[in-house]
Amino acid sequence: MDKRKERLDRGIKVRTEGIYAISSWRGIAYVLLPTLSFILVMLTLPLIVPSTTWQRIMTIACIFALLALSFDFLAHFVGIVCLGGAFFTGVGGYISGLLNSAFGLPMAITIPIATIAGGAICTLFLIPCLPIRGIYFAIVSLMYPILFHRVIQALNIFGGTDGLPGLATFPNIWVELYSIIPITLLLTFGLRRLVNEDFGIVLRAIKDNDQAVRASNINIAWYKTKAVYIASAIGCFAGACLAHLYGWVGLSLFALDFSIFPIAATVVGGGGTLVGPIIGAFILAPLSEMLRAFGPLRVVFYSLILAGLVIYKTEGLLPFLQRKYHQFERWTEV
Amino acid sequence: MNIFIFGLVNSVILALIASGFALVYGVSRLANFAHGALYILVGFATWLFLNRLGINYIGSILLSIIIVSAIGAAIYRLLLIRVKGMPASEIIASLAIGIAIMELFRWRGFISEAYMLPPFVKGSVNIAGVFIDWQRLIIIGVGLGMMLFLWLFTHHTKVGLSLRAIAQDKHASIMSGIEPDRTAVISLAMGSALAGIAAVVILPLGNITVETGYMVLTNAIAVCIIGGLGSWAGVFAGAFLLGFTEILTAALIGPQWQMVVVLLFIILTLILKPSGLLGRQKELEERV
Amino acid sequence: MQNKSLVSHIGTRLLLMLIILTFLFFLNPKVSFAQPIVLGVPISRGYPDGVDAERGITLAVEEINAAGGVNVAGTKRPFKLEISDTRDLEPGVPVAEALLAVERLIIEKKANFIVGGPIRSEGALAAMDVLSKHKTVSILSAGVLSPAYHKRVAENYDKYKFCFRTTGSVIPMIEGTLGTFESFKAKKGFDKAYIMVQDVAHARAAGNSLKEGLEKKGWKIIGYEIYPTGTTDFSVGLSKAKEAKVQVLIPWFDMPEVSILMKQWYDMKVPALPIGYIHALQDEGTWKATDGKVAYSVVLYAKAGSVATKAIPMSEAFVSGHKKKYGIEPRSEWTSTSYTVVYILKDAIERAKSLEPEAIIPALEKMDMMGTYGKVKFDPKSHQIIENGDPKETAVSMWAQWVDGKRVIVYPDKIATRALELPPWMK
Repeated sequence: MDKRKERLDRGIKVRTEGIYAISSWRGIAYVLLPTLSFILVMLTLPLIVPSTTWQRIMTIACIFALLALSFDFLAHFVGIVCLGGAFFTGVGGYISGLLNSAFGLPMAITIPIATIAGGAICTLFLIPCLPIRGIYFAIVSLMYPILFHRVIQALNIFGGTDGLPGLATFPNIWVELYSIIPITLLLTFGLRRLVNEDFGIVLRAIKDNDQAVRASNINIAWYKTKAVYIASAIGCFAGACLAHLYGWVGLSLFALDFSIFPIAATVVGGGGTLVGPIIGAFILAPLSEMLRAFGPLRVVFYSLILAGLVIYKTEGLLPFLQRKYHQFERWTEV
Repeated sequence: MNIFIFGLVNSVILALIASGFALVYGVSRLANFAHGALYILVGFATWLFLNRLGINYIGSILLSIIIVSAIGAAIYRLLLIRVKGMPASEIIASLAIGIAIMELFRWRGFISEAYMLPPFVKGSVNIAGVFIDWQRLIIIGVGLGMMLFLWLFTHHTKVGLSLRAIAQDKHASIMSGIEPDRTAVISLAMGSALAGIAAVVILPLGNITVETGYMVLTNAIAVCIIGGLGSWAGVFAGAFLLGFTEILTAALIGPQWQMVVVLLFIILTLILKPSGLLGRQKELEERV
Repeated sequence: MQNKSLVSHIGTRLLLMLIILTFLFFLNPKVSFAQPIVLGVPISRGYPDGVDAERGITLAVEEINAAGGVNVAGTKRPFKLEISDTRDLEPGVPVAEALLAVERLIIEKKANFIVGGPIRSEGALAAMDVLSKHKTVSILSAGVLSPAYHKRVAENYDKYKFCFRTTGSVIPMIEGTLGTFESFKAKKGFDKAYIMVQDVAHARAAGNSLKEGLEKKGWKIIGYEIYPTGTTDFSVGLSKAKEAKVQVLIPWFDMPEVSILMKQWYDMKVPALPIGYIHALQDEGTWKATDGKVAYSVVLYAKAGSVATKAIPMSEAFVSGHKKKYGIEPRSEWTSTSYTVVYILKDAIERAKSLEPEAIIPALEKMDMMGTYGKVKFDPKSHQIIENGDPKETAVSMWAQWVDGKRVIVYPDKIATRALELPPWMK
C-alpha cells in the first residue's frame, strides 16, 4: 500500500486571510501571535540570559543580525548578491570612530552621521558596479573591504595597524541592549513593510525581470541605488555601533567574517523572509561562542554545520516554522 | 631582465594555481571554492607521506595527487551534486567544505614553520646575470607542459572532447549521450589533480601554511575574473597580466601597493568588462 | 619526530594535568580547601605565537603547582589556567571576538589575572579598555610591540594602570639593535645596509628608526623596501642588494613566509649577512625545514631565554624543562616571556599578600626578580619592562646566529656563547 504525505492549510489560516482576520479575537490572535512572540522574545532575551557576557553576545548578535538583514534585503528583494558587509562595518565604524576621536563628538551624534554619510559613501563606491549581476557583483563588493584595508595599511592613516582605541562607549549594558534591539526590530519590520509598498514591488520586479521594468519607463538604476543606500546605511549603523561597543576602531572592522556571517545567518534562518536572518544570527552568534572551548576546531564545526544546512536543508528555519504554523500534514493512501 | 624572469615565474605560478579552478568552472559551471583547501591538502599529505610514512618523494607526490583527486570527485558526487544549479548554495557549500578541511589542519597543529617540502633539484643557476633556483625553472617547465597536456587532452581524447562538448552546449551533448554528472565528476577530479600538481611544484619554494589555502583561492579567482571565466586563453592571459603587474608594482611603486593595484585591477575589470579579457558570456554583456 | 608533540597533544596533556591536580586536591587536605588563583589566557591557539605562549604558561603553572602553589598571606593556593581561543591573529576575524574572549574570561571564568595576549596590537590596545573597565590586572607576554601600548598607560595612568607588558617595545628594541650593529661594525667593518620590512606598523616603525639611527652613525642605507604580509617573492630586493654590494641585510618580519627570503638569499648567494628580527626563523625546526639555508643569519629574540646561557641561570632551567615536556627547545621568545610572566605574578602576589589590584599593582611596580631573560623591573609610570643593559640589572634581548643546525647567542656580549661567523661567499 503506497502512502503519500498531504499538506493542507489550517482552517484558521484560510479564515483569517484578508480583512476577515479582524472578525474574531481568535483570528486576530492567530495572525498576530508569531510577530508578537518574536518581538517579545527579542526584548526579553537580555533579561533571561545568565550573565553580562551573554548580554554582550546578544548585542553582537544584533549587529550581525543587522548585517544579515541588509544582505537578505539586497539578495532576495533586489537581486543583488552583496558581500559588502565588511565594507559597510568598516566605513561606518571608521567614520564614527574618527569623528569621536578627532573632534570629540558624542556617540549620539557620531552614530547617526556614520549611518547617513557612511551609507552615501558605500553607495557611491557601489554605483559603478550596479549594472553587473550575480556572483560578479558579489566579488566586487568582497574586494572593496580588502582594498580599503590595504590602503589604510599602506598609507598608515587613521591609526594604521594599531587602530584607534579609547573611543566613547555605551554607558552601560542596558542602554546598549535597549537601544540596539529596538532599532533592529524597527528596521526589520520597517523593511518588511517597505518591500510590500509600491517601491518594494518595483524592486522585486527588477529582481525578476529588469528589462521588463525598464520597458515600463522606470529608471531601474535609480531604484537600485536607493535600495543599496538603504542596505549600506543599515550596515554602517551596525559598524558604528560595534565601534562604540568596545570603544575601538581598527583594520579588523574590514574583516571577512562580516561578509560571510550574514550569508550563513540567512541560510540558517531562511532567505527572503527578513525575520529569518535575524533568527539565524541569534542562533549562530551564541553557537559560535559556545564552540569557543574547542579552540581552532570551532571553525571546522561551524563550517560543517553550515555546509550541512546548505546541502541537506535548503529552505531555512523560518519557512519551516511558517509551514508548521499554517499547515498540517497527514499520510494519505494513494 | 630581473623583472622579466621573476614576472614570468610569478605568472606561471598564477596560471598553475588558476588552471584547476578554471577547468572545473569551464566544464561544469561550478565555482569550486574548496580549491585552496585541496591545494594545501596535497601539500600536507605529501609532507606526511614523506616524513611520517617514509615513502619516497615521487611516490608520496603521486599518492597524494591520486588521493586528492578522489576527494575532489567525492565532494562533488556526494555533496555538491545536491545543490547543482544554485550558484549561491554551490559557493557557500564548497567554501564551507574548504574551510572545514583547512581549519582541520590548523586544529591538528599544522601551524609551524617546519612544514616544508624539499625542492626537486637543489641549487640555482645564473641566467643573464640573474640567479634563479632550479625549482622556479621547473615550475616554468611544468606550467608549459601542463598547458600542452591540457590542450592535447581536450582536443584529442574522448573524455577531453566530451568535457569540451558539455562546456559548449550542455543540451546538445546530453542528446549525443554525454552524461553531465559524469563529466562534472571527471572535471572535479582533474581540477583537484591540477591543484595538486600546482601544489607540489610551487610549495617547495616556501612553507605550507593554512593561510596559503586562502591565498591560492583568491589568486585563482582573481586570475579567472581578469582573464574571463570559462576561457582557457583567458586564464593564461589573466595570469600573465596579473603576474607582471604584481612584480612591476613591487619594483616601481613599492611592495606595499602590490595588493592594492591587483584589487583595483579586478574591480576595474569587473566594472568595465565583466566577462573578463577574453571571456564571452552573453548574459553578462547584456547590461542594464 | 619532533613534531609529535605539537598542539594536538596539548589538549590531552592539559586534561592529564587537570586529573593529576584533582588527585592532588584529594590527597592533600591542606590544599584542597585553597581556592585556586585563576589565570585567564586569551591567545590565538591556531597560530605558532599563541601555542608558544600557551606552552610557556602551562609549563610554569605546572612547576609552581607541583611545588605547592602560591603563598597568599599564609595559605598555599594553586594556579588554575583558563585558556580561551581569541583567533585574533587570523586576518579575517574581527578583534571584537578577542575582546569578547577577554571579557568572558573575567566575568564567567572569574579570572583573577589576564596573562599572555591578545597577541595582535590592535586587539591588545582595544583590550586595555576592557581591562580597565573590569579592574583586572594584566601582563602581556606575547606579541604587541607597538609603542602605543605603554604610551597610553603613561598618558592616562589612573585608567590603564592595570596593564603591564613584558614583551618589549619597538623603541628600546631599536636602541638595542643599533648597539648590536655598532658592535658588528667595530668587529667586521660593515657599513652598508639594506632594510627589508613587513608592512605592519611595528615593523615599519622599526625600519624607519633603524634607517635614521644607522645613518646618523655613519652607515649607508642602500635600499629600504616594505613588503605586504604574505609576500612570497623577495628576489627583486635581493638582487638590488647584491648589485649595490651591501654587507648587511636588515629584515624585520613576523610572517612565516619570510623563510622564502632566507632560501632565496642562500640560493642567490647574496654577499650580505641577514641580521634582523625574523620571527619565523626563531624555531629550532627551521634549520631542517629550510634545508639549512637559514645558516649564518642572525635573528633577534625580543627577549632572551629561548637558548640556554650560563649568564642567566633561570634560562637553563627553563630550556631543559621545556625540552623534557615538549621534546623540543623553546621556539620563540614568547615561550620564554610567558613562562617568566607566571613567576612574576607569583612573586608579586606573595609580596602583596593579596589578589586585590590595589596591592598587586604597587607590588608589580616594585618588581625586582630574575627571569629567563635577565632582571625583571617595570617602569612605574608606563608599566613597560626595563630592558637593554646588564642582564643582572635589566631585561635583555638576544641575537642568535644559526650555525650547524644550532642557535648560538652572538650578542649581547654578556650572554654570548660564541663569536659571529660569516658565510663562505662573504669571505
